Amino acid sequence: MAQRAVWLISHEPGTPLGGTVRFSRRYPTVEKRAKVFNGTSYVPIPEDGPFLKSLLFELRLLDEDRDFMESRDSCSRINKTSVYGLKVGGEELWPVVAFLKNGIVYACVPLVEQTLSPRPALISISAISQGFELLFGIQDFLYSSQKIDTELNTKLSQLPDLLLQACPFGTLLDANLQNSLDSISFASVTHPQKQPAWKAGAYKGKPQVSISITEKVKSMQYDKQDIADTWQVVGTVTCKCDLEGIMPNVTISLSLPTNGSPLQDILVHPCVTSLDSAILTSSSIDAMDDSAFSGPYKFPFTPPLESFNLCYYTSQVPVPPILGFYQMKEEEVQLKITVNLKLHESVKNNFEFCEAHIPFYNRGPITHVEYKVSFGQLEVFREKSLLIWIIGQKFPKSMEISLSGTVTFGAKSHEKQPFDHICIGGTAYLKLHFRILDYTLTGCYADQHSVQVFASGKPKISTHRKLISSDYYIWNSKAPAPVTYGSLLL
Amino acid sequence: MGLLSREAWAQRLGAFRASPSAYMAAPEGEDLGRDLLSDLRSEKLSEQTKVSMLALSLEYPAQLWPDAPTAEAAATSLLDTLVLLPPRPSALRRPLLLAATTALVTGGVLGPTSGASLRLLPLLLGLASGGDLGRGFGPSSEQRPLQATACECLRELESCKPGLLGGCLGLLHGLLGQEGPVAPVQPLSLLLALALRNTLVIQARARASLQGLLTVRASPPGGGPWNWTLAQEGEAHLQPQAPSWPAAEEECGLSALEPSPEEARELRAAVAQLLDTSYLLTPVAQAQLLWLLGWALRGLRGQPPVLFKPQLVRLLGTAQLTLLHAVLALKAAFGEALFTAQDEALLLRRLTLAAQHPALPLPAHLFYLHCLLSFPENCPLGPAGEEAAPLLLEPQLCRGLLPSLLHDPMALLARLHLLCLLCAEDEQKEEKGQAQSPCHYLQELLAGLQQRAALTGGPRALATLCFQASYLVAHCLAGHHTVLAPLTHGLAQLYRARPALAPHFVDLLDQVAPELGEPLRVVLRQEVVSRPGGDEALRWHLQMLAKVADRDAQSATLGFLQAAAAHCTDWGLQQALLRVCRALLRAGVGGGLADLLQALARQLEDPDGRDHARLYYVLLSHLSGPKLGVALGPSLAAPALTSSLVAENQGFATALMVQEAPAPIRLSVGPRRAEGPVPVLQLQVEVLEPVYSLELRFRVEGQLYAPLGAVHVPCLCPGRPARPLLLPLQPRRPAPAQLDIRALYTKSTGLTCYTHLPPLPVKFADLFLPFPKAPEDARLGFFEELWDSCLPKGTESRLWCPLGPQGLEALVSRHLEPFVVVAQPPTSYHIAIRLPPDSKLLLRLEAAQADGVPVVLRTDDWAVLPLVGDYLRGLSAAV
Repeated sequence: MAQRAVWLISHEPGTPLGGTVRFSRRYPTVEKRAKVFNGTSYVPIPEDGPFLKSLLFELRLLDEDRDFMESRDSCSRINKTSVYGLKVGGEELWPVVAFLKNGIVYACVPLVEQTLSPRPALISISAISQGFELLFGIQDFLYSSQKIDTELNTKLSQLPDLLLQACPFGTLLDANLQNSLDSISFASVTHPQKQPAWKAGAYKGKPQVSISITEKVKSMQYDKQDIADTWQVVGTVTCKCDLEGIMPNVTISLSLPTNGSPLQDILVHPCVTSLDSAILTSSSIDAMDDSAFSGPYKFPFTPPLESFNLCYYTSQVPVPPILGFYQMKEEEVQLKITVNLKLHESVKNNFEFCEAHIPFYNRGPITHVEYKVSFGQLEVFREKSLLIWIIGQKFPKSMEISLSGTVTFGAKSHEKQPFDHICIGGTAYLKLHFRILDYTLTGCYADQHSVQVFASGKPKISTHRKLISSDYYIWNSKAPAPVTYGSLLL
Repeated sequence: MGLLSREAWAQRLGAFRASPSAYMAAPEGEDLGRDLLSDLRSEKLSEQTKVSMLALSLEYPAQLWPDAPTAEAAATSLLDTLVLLPPRPSALRRPLLLAATTALVTGGVLGPTSGASLRLLPLLLGLASGGDLGRGFGPSSEQRPLQATACECLRELESCKPGLLGGCLGLLHGLLGQEGPVAPVQPLSLLLALALRNTLVIQARARASLQGLLTVRASPPGGGPWNWTLAQEGEAHLQPQAPSWPAAEEECGLSALEPSPEEARELRAAVAQLLDTSYLLTPVAQAQLLWLLGWALRGLRGQPPVLFKPQLVRLLGTAQLTLLHAVLALKAAFGEALFTAQDEALLLRRLTLAAQHPALPLPAHLFYLHCLLSFPENCPLGPAGEEAAPLLLEPQLCRGLLPSLLHDPMALLARLHLLCLLCAEDEQKEEKGQAQSPCHYLQELLAGLQQRAALTGGPRALATLCFQASYLVAHCLAGHHTVLAPLTHGLAQLYRARPALAPHFVDLLDQVAPELGEPLRVVLRQEVVSRPGGDEALRWHLQMLAKVADRDAQSATLGFLQAAAAHCTDWGLQQALLRVCRALLRAGVGGGLADLLQALARQLEDPDGRDHARLYYVLLSHLSGPKLGVALGPSLAAPALTSSLVAENQGFATALMVQEAPAPIRLSVGPRRAEGPVPVLQLQVEVLEPVYSLELRFRVEGQLYAPLGAVHVPCLCPGRPARPLLLPLQPRRPAPAQLDIRALYTKSTGLTCYTHLPPLPVKFADLFLPFPKAPEDARLGFFEELWDSCLPKGTESRLWCPLGPQGLEALVSRHLEPFVVVAQPPTSYHIAIRLPPDSKLLLRLEAAQADGVPVVLRTDDWAVLPLVGDYLRGLSAAV
């Protein structure tokens, strides 16, 4: 269940090495066990330099477009998980858990408590999920409130001490590194009662509970006979409970209005102590019917100190908030485009912002645009080959707006204009970006009065809601578009 | 080296970390371990510096203190430093404990003979149990973190030496149940769970019982010596034992352990207690606890796994990777005993959900997808160890898990694999032929991937993805013509659009040869040869053709090459062209190719190219087909290099040169055949492996015989009786000789081999020939005539020929029968032997007695007398 070593590598394209090891930590006692467990299949952990080189090569993060290289490009080298075998000094180091996020490669080598040949299935190696969790934990810590690069450096410099707390011998004790950081400062408190390991201390101060529901809506719209449009809501309920006492109990209920869309695919935070089976089984996999469980969704839990995601859910609302079509046709040297967007009447017509981005890939810079909009205004980014239609805070009374025009392009120069491997030929999309405050598409809300807190003092309870667009695509209906299996099944 | 400043240490540590091996190889590396230990006690260095020094020792103890004595000394020194710390709060106590533990483990010194171990263990146990150590060990504010650290150190020691804490189970159990100011739950729980599991495994192997280990509350630090018994038994148990996946642990199960009812109750109580308080643990620690307890209880009698049940619903609700993974481990460990069919279905649904939930990161999705395809089913149907869709995973459930072009490459491949599995099943059920069928969707997806890969100037990763997908499909759906035919067609189109992908095609052909190789080869060849020769992508076409050209469609291929030859202006292109010719040669293409090679030998600009063309022409016109194939095949001696020259030279070296080899042939002399005008040796031949075109060459030292002709055998196989080989001898003098024999043959691999066989003797008697038979009544006269003719030129001699028990008659019939002219059995024989080239030997054997017969002999050749003597004297021995 232990890790043999862990690394953070910043990916720096264009530099001679392609990256720098920003942090590494080895666990010699685990290595000692690896040697025994792996027997003749044991491969030692390399030093940072060779590891960096080999990992970046395997992840295809070195200069990409060189010649075909069998060791990298052979069709039989298929990785279906973020677990790799690295060629190091003629041997293969496996398993290496690694992924790239925000320009940093997170990597670790989990201990396998048996021989490596034949390779055991990943599912049978307990240290694999522990390794993932460690890397996710480090990632959360680095980016929890990261604004600027200097802050990242500060956090990186805290890592050695933090891992000494959270993973002293390679066996992870807590993936929440922030908690480990807090536990250093809370260390002097005495504990008359059993203290959860995930809670470093106790809160002192005015009791308050804050609940915010953020829904993201994504959609793929095609405006085609044979392809169904799809849309989905993904909700996140975030809580911050400032309550006194070691183990205060809180129950939050999420409710839906009549005609609200049932919540599905609910995943909860590990601090939730029990779960109704209806919550556990409500799933988007099943066909929807009226008998679907529609709440209230009760979550009893003992909160940790920090802000946490109480639960995630998805939901299938009956209609997408904005339905539209996008038609783009190539006419000799120019493109003729028509866009139509319609806000559904049930949706709150009060946006924080609403924009439609219309990118043109694999073409030259925009040289000329002629257009007509029924509402809002159009901004042209010539070099980026991008149009942004700023719709603003409200749709007009008709709820329907349109844009039409022609766009002409200059000669293509590869460096500046965006390349895209989906938008080939007529395949094109527009992407909607919008945000509506104090609103959820499902109707889901946390009633202040339904929040039960079993702790000293009456807490102040605040709730927040918002709807954000995410991956909201409307595809050109005059050309082929990428579809998912779900779109085909109607 | 004297005391270093803070900056000097920072620099030193930095230099070490940059490359530990280089640093330790340099002179400054030598003292690092010693300096580190001594400077830890320096009052001039800040705690922060010391912590970073200790951090280094935690990571690289083996470099700092490479052998057991230095590790022991280091651990002792670290413990001394710890004891000498002033009683105020210090950041050094934790890392010192960790460092001492690490040094002991990595130095391999943990054991009853190590002084440092005997100091550290009671110290850790005392700290862990929260007892007063009597020395004012640190301020009270530090007690709790130190308690936790001590538990962690003990856990690490127990991990590396299973059974170490077997004697402390009772103590740990008691601590966990303690009321009032309590020890930290997580470190104690994990420590107890690990110690419990190790003890159970060791006791089960030793076929011993728990011996009340859980109930005995006495603790060794009370003054008694540490109990090493279990640890010594456990020594062998860190051996690879596949404990990672409970299903793999079948053979070393715990069923051997038979706890008493009381022990079983105690054990159950301990496990229940651990599980009940598990919500106090962090999620990752909960997962570790579940794995450990799952291992501990699996197969143990009287321990129903229902203990775990209350935890499951809570665990299934979370998205935590470690927790779901631990549930899967429990599933694998207990199967139906813990998960009914309904539970299994629910677990599968949660897993399916987690594998696609938008709130989770991609690496988690991919891992869940892997778990789904390796799901530990209650009733598995397929072969173990192979990824397959579980039975309960209905296609309906998988809808959201199917790939689309918008996915990241890794996700796409993982989901594509699932789609292939579904297609395989779908086709088994029935041919639906609907647009929505998974197979149809798969085709659309492949077409999309091909279209993307065809983008000129697109990143190589996109092309690679397309070929990986093709490989996966060919592999999973081998034999599914409805999928593979469009795939082949699509790939041909991709080649047409972007010939620069030729290396990917060659690679794909290598990888999918059994499933897709032949049809793909055909369409790609058509694709290439239908081009005009002067294409700008000629280099790729030639590379492609070198892979796909064979005997079929030779005229089109040769036509293309002829057209291409005019455009092969540089060395590289000419080499590529010649590589194709080489491939054709190997495939056994004849006539047209000879013309092409001749033309190339004249036409190519590069002299090297011309030479090669000529060489190929010579080879083509002189070597038989199979031989050519071997000559031009990849060298067996070394992996082929990219240069055709090197590859070729290696091929020739092995194939065209004669190899010296140990003989798979055995020769022996068969029975004599005394007839004909010259003596003929009958050779028996045996082979150990098939041998073709065998040529045997014989030589006789000293020109005793005329030069011997070679013997040829077309083919010999082991186990198949071979006809004897006849070797006519032409002696220049009637004398025995040694035959020196060499064999030249071709093996079934086509290699020509040469070998020196052991020499064979030609005996004096092998040269004997009879005189022509005279009519019955004239025989005596004939013999007398011969007898008289020997003198005076020759000689007469008398000698005694000893007889064996069989007597004279047997001796004659066995050795001299063909040469008898007049016989009066059993007492008198007249024998006449012709000795080539032109000598004779006449024997009179008369008046035999019991132990011998007097022989009167005459010969016209003095030189043979000693030979005859030896021969006759040897006869009785030879009977």
